[in-house]
This record gives sequence, structure tokens and C-alpha cells, in this order.
Amino acid sequence: MTTLWFRRRLDDALSSTVVSIAVIASITAGAMIAATQADGYLVFIIALVAINVIVAVGLNVLWGLSGQISFGHVGFFAIGAYTTAIAMNAGWSFWLALPAAGVLSALIGGLLAIPALRVSGPYLAMMTIAFAFIVENIAIEWRAVTGGQNGIAGFPSPELFGRMFFEMEMALLGCIVAGVSLLAYLFLSRGNWGQAMRAVQDSEVAAQSVGLAPLRIKTVAFVVSALLTGLAGAMFAPLQMFISPGSFPFFQSILFLLAVVVGGAGTLIGPVIGCLIVVLLPELLSGLAEYRLLFFGGLMLGVLLAAPRGIAGTFASLLAAEDPSTAVPSSRSLEDIVGVNNRGAPLVVEGIGISFGGVRAAHDVGFTAEPGKVTSVIGPNGAGKTTVLNMIGGYYRPDQGTIALDHNIAGRPAWAVSRAGIARTYQTTQLFEELSVIDNILIAGRRGKLGSILGALPDAAARQQAQDLLVFVGYGGPLARKAGALPHVDKRLVEIARALATRPQVLLLDEPAAGLGQTDKTALSVLLAQIAAAGIAVIVVEHDMGLVMGVSDKIVVLDAGTPICTGTPAQVRTDPGVRRAYLGDDTFTGRPRETAWSGERLAVLTTDKLGAGYGAAPVLSGVSISVDPGEMVALLGANGAGKSTMMRSISGLHRPVEGSVLLDNEDIGRSPAHTIAASGLALVPEGRQVFPEMTVRDNIRLGAYSRKDVDVEAEIEAQLRRFPRLAERADSRAGVLSGGEQQMLAIARGLIASPRIILLDEPSLGLAPAIVRELYDALADLRDEGVTILLVDQMAMLALDVADRAYVLDTGRVVGQGNTKDLQNDAGIEAAYLGSAAE
Amino acid sequence: MIASTLITGLGLGAMYGLLALGFHITYAVSKTVNFSQGASMMFGAVMGYTFSVTLGWPVLLAFPAALGCCAILGLAIEFFLVRPFVARGSEAWLMATVAGGIVLENMVLFTFGKEPRNLPSVLAQEPISLFGAGAYPLQIVIPVVGITIAFALTWLQRSTRAGQAMLATVQRPEAAQLVGVDTRAVIAIAFAISAVFAGIAGLLIAPLFNVSASMGTIFGIKAFAAAILGGISSAWGVMIAGLLYGCIEALTTAYLGSGYTQIVSFSLVILVLATVPNGLFGRAAVNKV
Amino acid sequence: MNLNTRYTLRHLAAREVIAAAGVMILSLLAPIQASAQETIKIGLIASLSGPSSKSGEAITRGMTLAIEEINAEGGVLGKPLELLRRDDENNPGKGLTAARELIQREKVAVLFGGLQTPVSLAIVPYVNQVKRPFMGPWAAGTPITQNGADPNFVFRVSAVDELVDVALVDRAVTVHGSKNPGLVLINNPWGESNERGLLAALESKGLPHAGIEKIEASDVDVVPQLTRLREAGADTLFMVANVGPSAQVMKSLERMDWNVPVVSHWGPAGGRFSELGGPRAETVEMIQTFTFSGTQTEKGEAVLAGLQNLFPEIETAADVTPAVGIANAYDAMHLTALAIENAGSTAGEAIREGYYAIESYDGLVKRYQQPFTPDNHDALGPDDYVFTNFVAGEIIPID
Repeated sequence: MTTLWFRRRLDDALSSTVVSIAVIASITAGAMIAATQADGYLVFIIALVAINVIVAVGLNVLWGLSGQISFGHVGFFAIGAYTTAIAMNAGWSFWLALPAAGVLSALIGGLLAIPALRVSGPYLAMMTIAFAFIVENIAIEWRAVTGGQNGIAGFPSPELFGRMFFEMEMALLGCIVAGVSLLAYLFLSRGNWGQAMRAVQDSEVAAQSVGLAPLRIKTVAFVVSALLTGLAGAMFAPLQMFISPGSFPFFQSILFLLAVVVGGAGTLIGPVIGCLIVVLLPELLSGLAEYRLLFFGGLMLGVLLAAPRGIAGTFASLLAAEDPSTAVPSSRSLEDIVGVNNRGAPLVVEGIGISFGGVRAAHDVGFTAEPGKVTSVIGPNGAGKTTVLNMIGGYYRPDQGTIALDHNIAGRPAWAVSRAGIARTYQTTQLFEELSVIDNILIAGRRGKLGSILGALPDAAARQQAQDLLVFVGYGGPLARKAGALPHVDKRLVEIARALATRPQVLLLDEPAAGLGQTDKTALSVLLAQIAAAGIAVIVVEHDMGLVMGVSDKIVVLDAGTPICTGTPAQVRTDPGVRRAYLGDDTFTGRPRETAWSGERLAVLTTDKLGAGYGAAPVLSGVSISVDPGEMVALLGANGAGKSTMMRSISGLHRPVEGSVLLDNEDIGRSPAHTIAASGLALVPEGRQVFPEMTVRDNIRLGAYSRKDVDVEAEIEAQLRRFPRLAERADSRAGVLSGGEQQMLAIARGLIASPRIILLDEPSLGLAPAIVRELYDALADLRDEGVTILLVDQMAMLALDVADRAYVLDTGRVVGQGNTKDLQNDAGIEAAYLGSAAE
Repeated sequence: MIASTLITGLGLGAMYGLLALGFHITYAVSKTVNFSQGASMMFGAVMGYTFSVTLGWPVLLAFPAALGCCAILGLAIEFFLVRPFVARGSEAWLMATVAGGIVLENMVLFTFGKEPRNLPSVLAQEPISLFGAGAYPLQIVIPVVGITIAFALTWLQRSTRAGQAMLATVQRPEAAQLVGVDTRAVIAIAFAISAVFAGIAGLLIAPLFNVSASMGTIFGIKAFAAAILGGISSAWGVMIAGLLYGCIEALTTAYLGSGYTQIVSFSLVILVLATVPNGLFGRAAVNKV
Repeated sequence: MNLNTRYTLRHLAAREVIAAAGVMILSLLAPIQASAQETIKIGLIASLSGPSSKSGEAITRGMTLAIEEINAEGGVLGKPLELLRRDDENNPGKGLTAARELIQREKVAVLFGGLQTPVSLAIVPYVNQVKRPFMGPWAAGTPITQNGADPNFVFRVSAVDELVDVALVDRAVTVHGSKNPGLVLINNPWGESNERGLLAALESKGLPHAGIEKIEASDVDVVPQLTRLREAGADTLFMVANVGPSAQVMKSLERMDWNVPVVSHWGPAGGRFSELGGPRAETVEMIQTFTFSGTQTEKGEAVLAGLQNLFPEIETAADVTPAVGIANAYDAMHLTALAIENAGSTAGEAIREGYYAIESYDGLVKRYQQPFTPDNHDALGPDDYVFTNFVAGEIIPID
């Protein structure tokens, strides 16, 4: 406790801006004093390090903050150097040439950014490589200006107040510029722009939804890095007194990048450490002569392997201590915290539609969302709900129709839509995972207005607003915690708070209840009502009918991309069309086993005190279940109870796990998924996961991948007979099958392995009722044939119909088990765990 | 002039295409590449020379042995330079593979020797006449081999168990594990195949060119340009882009002059990516949130 | 990825400070060599890695042999010579850094170096500034020695591109009757330097040219470039390129079936040109300052024996490649030893005067008479150039 306290105090003290400035100042001053004392060679090396630091700081903005890679920065370095050399030969003063070089480099950086930043990853890497080669070749060919291969020499030394600039003066100048660039980085990275760049690096999609224009922010990062690199090049020329294309080999680009990576990308001091290593190490190795590069390459590999986050990053994480303070609410009213400034116009959606590759995903969708009301959009999976949300949010551009909030915003980019007053959350939360909780809120609060690139910081009022929002949504954890480390529920809450921070008139929520337990769902309902009460038009897309019916003022029902009914919950509930399309025939039940199962209790599959989790948060703890040969066992529980994690842990997709998993007495708890599959356990995964580019036949054949001794073709035919729908489409690509067909395919792919046990994860998810019935008939057939099955399904009642026995999970623990007959009649269990799912 | 130029361009382009196929195959299964693909190419040529000339083995033994060495190299690259970084979610494999290339190149420099050597081949001694232009038979063989390998790769992927396992890993890595495919092994094998393709390119080009420690670097970079140009996700795309890239280089040299070759070809890369961000034959991923 | 090990952005600087401190301490502890050996240090900066490393090795061998001989005779000024080598990676920036290190840290008496002209050009202003003699055994760019500095501390025992180019043009005109020669040049500083030289030499003869084509070391096939020259009516080719690309030119000529005389700078001599260049290789006429093959002087025999003794991997004269590099470096080292001896100290100014004071020296390339004067810092001149070609893998002077 005391050490932690001490570490936190140390951490706080040292990470304050004042201390950081003092550190930069003392490093700079130290280097400058060294430059005035040391011998000429060392002075020259100090100058080289300083120049490299300037480049590395620039690259750190690009790579560390905005996450963009460049293998072409030697091109900007060369542009800076050549500009200075040419300008000084033409009689310019160095003091004019230096900024000119920076500006020219920045301009070219901006030009290159236009095409380059539309692509990412290896494509961006290639663009920058191409840029470096083009610069090199122009330097070679444009001989009249650049002196060609033999370069430029003889430019005068810079001069200031009559003092000629030789290596010592250049070293001093380099140290000052490097120090200033470090300071600039400090302010940039702690200010709004730095947070915005990190946000864009974490999730461009989410960045847009809080009003940040990713292309603009990435371009700024690129231009800043080009500017600094150009300035560094401008100082390189007079230091060297001679430049030629050979002074700027492509390899240098990699060394620049290496300095950032080795030092620690996204850290303040990392580039300094990296440059010390990248510049000094070759000098220390110079006595090795021809073996220098060999050793240098080997040592670099060693450093990369030993300190993957860079040296500064690794040290930093070793000393990390989180500030545990939580949000402190002010006494402001709810209206004041989340209220809309001017309770304005409703959101009017008229006739919007979109097609993807000829497939109509949504068509002629229209509704009005009133301020102060909750409007829900529901419909079976694939009805186009999220597509509609994406069109409103600006993520998709609708082919036709209007979306009006005072004026038409259809087709505007997402960041512009956000600035117009429409905020949103996502099906899978899209937080800025590397940012702290409070920073997630603060950056959203800017609504894209980032202020001065250096140092614009959120003020106390903004911080209080962020804390109020977090308290309001019910987040009680540390403000400084990284969003990526939050448990699922908190992620949802923080995402809602972030959306509210943009002061929206309209709030779009995409499946906010997914993965929440019943208590959290109830809290969510209250929250949604409060948000609406503050004057915001709330639009919810949600599967959980209990929540939807309870919270909505108006419901829009979509089917196959078109609205089929709009009305109050009561109207929708009773609408026969809605019942047919959405709820299906509710008299349908699964076919139970004719005579109760009575096999041997010789478990095929046993888990003993199985535990698993993601990072710090355990999802499963001490789960013990068993499945006997020929038995069908259901695993039930609300969303987020850990059912899928259980399936993934058993099948080997999730590692490591605690406890043991026995398949016929053989412990498979440490085995990788592919060996488990080969030893006779087949998982039909959630979302089917068919191989979309392969034919149906090839998909099934792959299921028999681990079987060597059989006539696979005959087995494929057998599976096609079992699923006649598949037989019709045996040679189609699996990607074009309907959801139901894909599910059957996934089951066939599991069955052909002739497994000792087959695990089914959410087989009915997103399927039309008619298909669910067909699917459950097939499952009942399998059960009657004696296949051992472990089933997870949202449609708990249906699962209980067909299964022999069931376990009930809640928050990662077994809370109930028994015969399905008994469980079906257990009202308590139904209410607590199946209530919403059995709707 | 055009026939002769195209022969040059196609020979060169097929070599780029082979190296680019190597980029493609590892990228498809793991979203990583060996940035020192050029060094693998050099390694293939150097081992081919060592076995066939220095040790005097017959070509039919020496070349497969050289390619076997390439495969081992590929496995080593994946194991030491890529996997540790991918496991940590780091992108430092970019730098690690570059560093690996430097180490390999310098090791070869001190063992194989500093001067370029000639790898003799009966196909590169007597020029033949083709469409009124002289050509070494090997210059015709290279594009044929390149296209055949692209064909064979496609066929193997569609028709063999191992190929299907690879496709499965590309399309749905988790589902592939669930049917018993060891996806880690598939990725390792992809790196081995990638290095073998590079080795084939090296062995094919060496008799026309030479064998030296530094022969591969620039080819590797240009092949990467071709892979990106073709849209790295498509096997045929990268082979065709390789051929195109070679022809563009040769045509620029022939009609504009050699000083413009790199400026034109690299500018073209930027222009193409600016207009088609997924490359000429790459497929855009449908974005979902 | 383990979320626990991540850290919060707000707290970056704290840990970095400690990290930085660690690295600063480490770098301060960096070994600083302070050996007080009683030797006279000679520095060499050359490409020791990468594509040009063979030439760097040749210079090393020539100097090493000379130093062995000198030290066996008791050294210079009573002290043995010691060779310190640095790799410049063909990068002028690295070359300059290495020059500063060798001169300021290691206090070398004389600095040798520069394979590529730009590396030498980058070092020249610096050595003149700190008044330290700089001896060039290879790079042939004219402005290296004629650099306009006074006093000039740069000396050279090597060919001079301008003069070589005059000799090449002479040969093409007198022997091949060339009226419209074409230029095939490697796309590097050496090629560009010779482009200037050749154009100047052609202009002084009043000759036009059929075109200037650049080739890259990575060009697999140079037919497109050569086709342009053929279509422009070239009747002779001037070739300036290292072994590899030169071989590519010869293979492409063979492919095109174009029988055109090729007059070359000394590049092909750097390696196994006849192995690489195919049947045409032996037709190339190339300029040399020295060859170990053919009729050999007594000195040549002795040096070859000495080399074989020092470097067992050398078996025949054909293994001594590039011979010019070895010979130039060998002679340059001996001349430098004489200069230091003349100077009586290792003061830079004194050694510079010491070079002028060399009256004669019986070297490997030739017998030097007053090799350096204040007006001429090049020990070799047009009279020392000889045209050769490959015969059965050996470089033989053409009659």
C-alpha cells in the first residue's frame, strides 16, 4: 500500500508538465554544455543526435500519436537539406533558408498526405517508399539545380551576429531546435490535438462519431512530421558542408523509424533514447569496420525483441501506477449536464435507402424522432436496423432520401453529422481504448474544435462536465483507467457518456443492452428515459424486446429493409403483421425426446472448476459441467453470462484457462483448438463462420480435415442428404447463402468430423422463425440419432424443449442445473435468467 | 524495339511477380510480410550457386536443395522475426524483418564473398531470335514459370487438402482451427513458401544477372511495389501487377530514357493508389460497425 | 495483449525520466579508447560492406601489405604503423563522421579513403580545415585533388576521370575511327563524373555523341538502353560501370547481336568479368593503371608473393582483384611513409611538405619521380594508363 502510494506520488510529481519541461530543459542544457566542452568529433555526434531527435519527434507525432507509418521520411530530410544548400548557394541567408526548408517540406508533406492517408498499413508504407525513391531520383536527375550524383558543396557557413557556424554552433542550434521540438511534442501530445490523434489511431470510426475528421487530423500529423524532418534536413546540410543523393539512402528512413520504435513510440523521451542508440551505437561499433552493419542489425533485433514497446515505453509500464480517483459530481441539474441548448427540431427521416452490390439493404425508410422521446427501431436480424443507423450517423451515404435536423444532412460525412448534433454508440463498443476514461469524454466534448495545435487543454469546466456525465451514466471506476481495460458494462456506459459529451440533439444507440445482465439492463432503461427527459431525441436499435417495450415512446419495425409498422409499444405488440414477421408463430415449440434419456453416466466432456477471462476481468469462475454420451445438454444464461466464453474455452479458442477440461478423461485444457478439433470435439461457432469464398461442398469437406481413413466424398453426400437445402446449392459460394443455410452448413461441417461431441453456439441467432423451426427439427433428429450435443442458445425455452438436461450460468458461475422438465417449471429461474430471452 | 523491350519487361516483371506472390501469400494468412523478401531471393541464388558450382552438384539436386534452404529460412523468419511481435500485437516485425535482411546479407557477404559470381545456365548462353528481337531462352522461361506458379498456386489452393487449409485460414482463421487446421503452422508454412518463391526468382534471374550478397534489396522493394499495385490480397493480381511493373520499367527506359524509369514507375504507384486505394485487383473490404 | 501492463498516458513522463536517466548513464559509460600505444596511426575510410566492399577489401590488402613491409623495416620515425579502418556504407555523411572520428579521436597521421567520389568530396573540405593529409587510392573525381583550397592537403595515387576520359576518346577515335560514340554509364557519382569528362573530351575533338544512357546496378537487362543507342547510330560505346553492370552490358549486346567496339573505364577489372560477361567480355578494351597479369616486373612478382603470403585465399594473379585498388593503395602507403619520414613528425603541415619532398620511389605501378608538387597532387597521369583486355580470365595489356 505504501509503495503504491509512493509510486503514485512519484508518478504524479514526475509526470506533471512542469517536471517534463524541466527534464527537457535539462537534457537540452546538458547536451549544449557538453557541446561546448567536448572535442570536435563528439560535438559533431551531439549535433547528429540532435538532428535525428528532431526527425524522430516528427515521426513520433506521425507514428506514436496518429499511428501512421512512413518509410519515406528520408525524402523530407533530403528536401530540407537540398533546399538549404540550394538557397544558400543562391545567396540566401541560412536564417531564411531554414524556415523555407521547413515550409517547403511541410507543403510537400501535405500534398503527399492527400493520396497517402486515404490508405493505410502496407499501402501507406509503399506510398512513402515510392516518395523517398522519387525524391532521390529527382535529386539525381535535376542536375542543374541539385548537382546530380556528385551533390552540392561549397555553400557558405551560416552566420549570426558575425559568428560563423561550425560544428559547435550547429550542435548548439540543433540542441535548441531539438529541445523546442520536444516541448512542442509535449504540448501537442497533452493537448486536444494530441488526444485527437490518439483517438484517430485507436478508432477512426469512433473519432468521426465525436466530430473529429480523421483525414484532417492525420494530415496535420503528417505535415507536422514533414515540417520537423525538413527542418532537421536543413540543419544537416551546413553541418555536413556537402550533400549528395548518397547522403540520403533509403535505409536512413528505416533508421529514423527504428529510433522511434526502439525508444518508445508515443512517449516523450523515447525518441531521444532511440536516437542516442541509433546514432551512438554505430559509432561505438565503428572499430568493427566491415562487421559493423552485421552487429548493428543483430543488436537491433535484440532490442526489438527485448523491449517491444521501446525502452521508454517498457520502463514506463514497469513503473505504471494508476490514479484511483473517481468522478466527483457537481451540483448541476440533469438538464444542465446533458440538456440540449435549444430544444430544437425533431429528426425527420424520409425515404432513405441504400444498396450494397445490387442487394437492397434498406429501402424507403422514414420516421420522425421527437426530442424528449425514445424511438426504437426493431426487426429481425438482417432487417437493416444498423444500416439505417449507419445512414443517419453518416457512416453510409444513402442512395436516396433525406435526413433532416433543421436541414438535410443525408450523405454528409460522419464527423459532420456528429457536429450537426447527432451522436451515437456502437453495437460493439468503439471506445478510444488507449485513452483514459476521462480523456474519452473530454475529446468528445470538443465537438471537433481542437483549438491551437500546441497546448490547447480542456479547462476545469470541461473536466467537471466530463465527471458529471460519468456520474450520470453510472460509471464509478477510476477516471484514469484505460478504456480498453474496462469491463464490458462500463464500456457501454462510458460510450454513452462520450456520446452525450458532444451535447447532441439526437442520440443513436446501437444495441446498448447487448451483453448486459438483467440488473444493468434495468439501469439502462432508466438512463435512457432520463436522457430523453433532458430533451434529447433518443433512437435505439435493440434486440431485447423487454427493454424496448418498456422504454420506447414509439417503435419502428423494419423487415427486409422496409418499415412495416410504426406506433406505440402497445400498437406494435398487437399488430398482426409485426407478430408474423418479427415474433413468428409463438405456438412453436421444440420437439422433445420421446422417452427420457437414460444413458450411461460416463461423461464425454467434463469441465472441472473452469475459469477464464480477458485481461483482469474474469468471465468464468469455477464452472463444472459434464455431458454424457448421447446426451443433449443446454447451457443457458442471459447475455454476458459467459456462455460463449465457455464454448471458446472448451474448444481451445480461448487460452489460457484455469481448471481442467476433460474429453473422455483426456485433459484438453491446455491444448490448442486444432488438436482439440482433431481429437473429436466440434464447435459450431457463433455467427456460423463458414468459409465464404469456398463452395458449400468444400466447406463440408474441410470439416473432415482431421479424418484420414474415410471416404470423404461419401460422407459429404450423406450430409447433403441430411440438409437438402444445402444439396441444392452444393456448388455455390458459401458467402451467398442465407443465414439459415449457413447455419446448416456450419453444422454439417461440424458433423462430418464424426465428433465425440458437438458444441453449438447460438445456432438460432438472427434466423427467421421458420428457419429456426427447421433447424431445431434437425437438432432433435441428431439427438435422436445419438449424437452428443452441448447447446447454447438465446431462445432458452426452445433449447429446454429439445435438451435433456441444462445448466444455468450467471456472471460466469453455474447457478442452476437439472432436468429440462424441472427447469422449465422453475419460475424463479425463468424470471431471473430467461425472462427477456424467452420474450 | 517494342518486342525486345517487352521481352525484357516480361522477364523482369515475372521475377517481381514471383517475389510479390511471396508477399501475397504471407499477407493473406497473417497480415504480415517479410520486408526482406529481396534477401530471401539472394539467399536462394547464393545457395544455388554454392551447391551447383562450388560443390559441383547436378542442377536437379542443387536447385531443390537451395529451395529447401529457402524454406528453412522462411520458417526461421516467421519464428524469430514475425511471430514474437505479432503475439504482442506489435508492428515491429516491419523493422525486425528489415534487420533480419541486413544480418543475412552481411553474413552472406562474409561467407560467400564480396564479388558477384555467375550462375551458368544453358538457357542463358546462346540468344535466340523472337519476333525479330534477340532473347535468351531463359527470358521466355521466367514469365512462363511465373505464370505457371501463379496457376499452380491457385490450383493447389482449390484442390488439395493443404491448399484448402490455407484458404480456410485466410477466410476464417478461427473456424479453420475448429476444423482442425493448425493455423500457426499454416502461417509458418506460408512464410516458407514465400521464401521458396523468392528463391525460385533468385535462381531464375541469376544466370541472366549475377549472384551477389546485395543482389536482392532493390528487387524486393520493387516487388513490394508490384504486390501493392496489384492489391496484395489477390494472387493473380500481384502476378499481373508484377508483369505490368516490369513492362512499364522497360518501356520507360526504352522510350523516355533510363533516368526517368524510377521516377515514372514509383509515381505510377502513388497515382494508382490515389485512384484505387485497394490496388488494381484488390477487393475493398465492406466496412461494418 | 495484456491490459494490465499498459500504462496511462497522463503518467508517461515520470517513467520516461528514469528510462532516460538510465540510457544517459549508459551512454556516458561508453568506452572511450585511450590507448597510449607508440604507433603511427593511418586511417582508412572505404566501403567495407555492401556492393562495393570488394574494392574496399582491395585497398585494405594493398595498404596492409605495404604496412607489413614498412614495419618489418622498423616502421616510420622508429614507430610501427597501425591501420584503422572505418566503413562508410557508401554514404558521404557516414564518411565525414568517420573522418572526424579518425582524425579527432584516433589522431591518425594520414587519412586514406574514398571509393565513391562524393564520399571523398564530403571529406575534402574537412581535412583542409583541420590540416590533415588525405590520400586517395581510388576515387577518381577531378575536384577531389583540384579542390581550390590553399593549402591543399589532398593527395592521390589513382586515375583521374578527366584524364581517363581523354584517353578513352582518343582510343575510340584513333583505333576504332569512331564518329558517333554512345555513352553507357552507371547511374552513380562515378558515372556522372565521367559523363562530364567524356563530353568535355568529345567536345575538344569536335565529336558529337549518339546518346547518354544510364544503367543501374540492378538492371537485369540493358537492352532498352542499348537499343536507343543503336537506333541513334552509335558506332562505339564508352562504358563506365563496375563489374556487374558492365557484364550486363556485354550480355545484352550479345542478346541484341550488336557488334560494336566497347571502350571502357577500369570497372570491369574489379572482379570476374570474363566469368560474368559471357563470350563478349573479352572484346572489351579497358583502361588500367596496373595489372598483375602478363609480363611482370620483379617488384610485381614480389608484391604478389607477399599478398599470397598475407592472404592465403589468393591463389593466382586472377584472384588479386581489383588489381588497381591493391596497387594504388600499396604505392600510396609507401609514398605516405616516405612523406612522414621526410616530415620528421606527424604534424599535418609537415607531412604535406613531406609529400612534396619525395624525390623518387620505385613503386609497383611505376617508378615515381617527384610524384607530388604544390601544383600537382596526382601521382599518376595519362602516361601511366594502359589499355588492356581479358584473355582467358587474365587482364593482358593490348599491344
